[in-house]
Amino acid sequence: MAHPYAHKLPLEERLAALQEQNLQLARELSELRNQEALKTQFLSNISHDLRTPLTAVITHAEILRDGILGTVNERQRDSLSGIISGSRQLLNMVGEILTYARGAANQLTLTCSTFTIDALIEQVCAVNEPLIAKKGQTLAVDIEPGLPPLSADREQIAHVLANLLSNAIEFTPPGGRVWINASTGPLTERGSTILVEVGDTGIGIAVEHHELIFREFAQVDASASRSHHGTGLGLAIARKFVELHGGRIWVESTLGQGSRFYFTLPAGTPT
Amino acid sequence: MVRARVLLVEDSALVVGALRLLLEESGYSVTSAATVREAIDAAERDAPDVMLLDLTLRNESGLDVLASLAAAHRAPRVTIALTGHDEPAVREQCLRAGCRDVLIKPIQPMELPTQIATWLSDPAA
Repeated sequence: MAHPYAHKLPLEERLAALQEQNLQLARELSELRNQEALKTQFLSNISHDLRTPLTAVITHAEILRDGILGTVNERQRDSLSGIISGSRQLLNMVGEILTYARGAANQLTLTCSTFTIDALIEQVCAVNEPLIAKKGQTLAVDIEPGLPPLSADREQIAHVLANLLSNAIEFTPPGGRVWINASTGPLTERGSTILVEVGDTGIGIAVEHHELIFREFAQVDASASRSHHGTGLGLAIARKFVELHGGRIWVESTLGQGSRFYFTLPAGTPT
Repeated sequence: MVRARVLLVEDSALVVGALRLLLEESGYSVTSAATVREAIDAAERDAPDVMLLDLTLRNESGLDVLASLAAAHRAPRVTIALTGHDEPAVREQCLRAGCRDVLIKPIQPMELPTQIATWLSDPAA
């Protein structure tokens, strides 16, 4: 006859084994979290350190281009302009990585001021006008009269708008149309909102990629031979900035038929 | 006319090299320092009109330079803080410490020569 408690032994053993497994998993999770924090810290440090020599490169090239050390001919100036724009592109990418790292470490904060969306749209359009002209595109701006001012982090919202506009320009063929509209947004439980739309007649985005493009490091074409380059962080950062303000960002698009990006911002003081 | 003196307090030799070239070519006399100690010595020796002060000097705070000079009544006419942190608290701290302005990195170096001239021509200086 079997011992009456024999069946309990394996049960207790299994319980002990499970408890040991749980402990092991908790240790591994904690280790992974530490590694993640270290990686984020590394990204933050390295991008910060990359900016310093890059700034020096740009300054030296600008000193030469502006003829401060003597006259340069047109071809020399073109070459220097190439160094400067390449370095600026690199500096922007490094800046995006730094912003991402700060976001991942929850170090992003809002520095709010009061401004009108008109002024901000005008500022971002002015920067992009030469590029629009170069690609033979048209840029239309339509702002609903009487929109309330925003109390928001101007630099962050400018970054969102600039990112959406530069994407629109980049992914729209020469001769295409790009537009920015601002209007009264939907009423939410936190009050009224402003809705900004950045649209284009460009290559569009397949429906299955509408969420993917807002993810960190995601690119629709991630292959090495892809024709559009960047950190893949632009839209992820835009989403982070908009959500920090309590707003929403999304895209409506069909492949081959242009894209419309929208974001909302609470009007007035954020709570 | 005596050339206005600029003290660059910055721990990156690369950045100092670029800014020195730019400012000297724009007619300023430039000295530089990479640590708090060097900066205090340079300021006491050269009595700069303008100090461009990086807030992060390896493991030291750039504001210590200004605090020490201010205590000895040797602060330059104009001190401009340079920082990578665009935060209101940092800005307030700099202005309270006696900085005229705070520039957020990456700064626009090509605008510096004109900015310095403007700061120096300001009667509040």
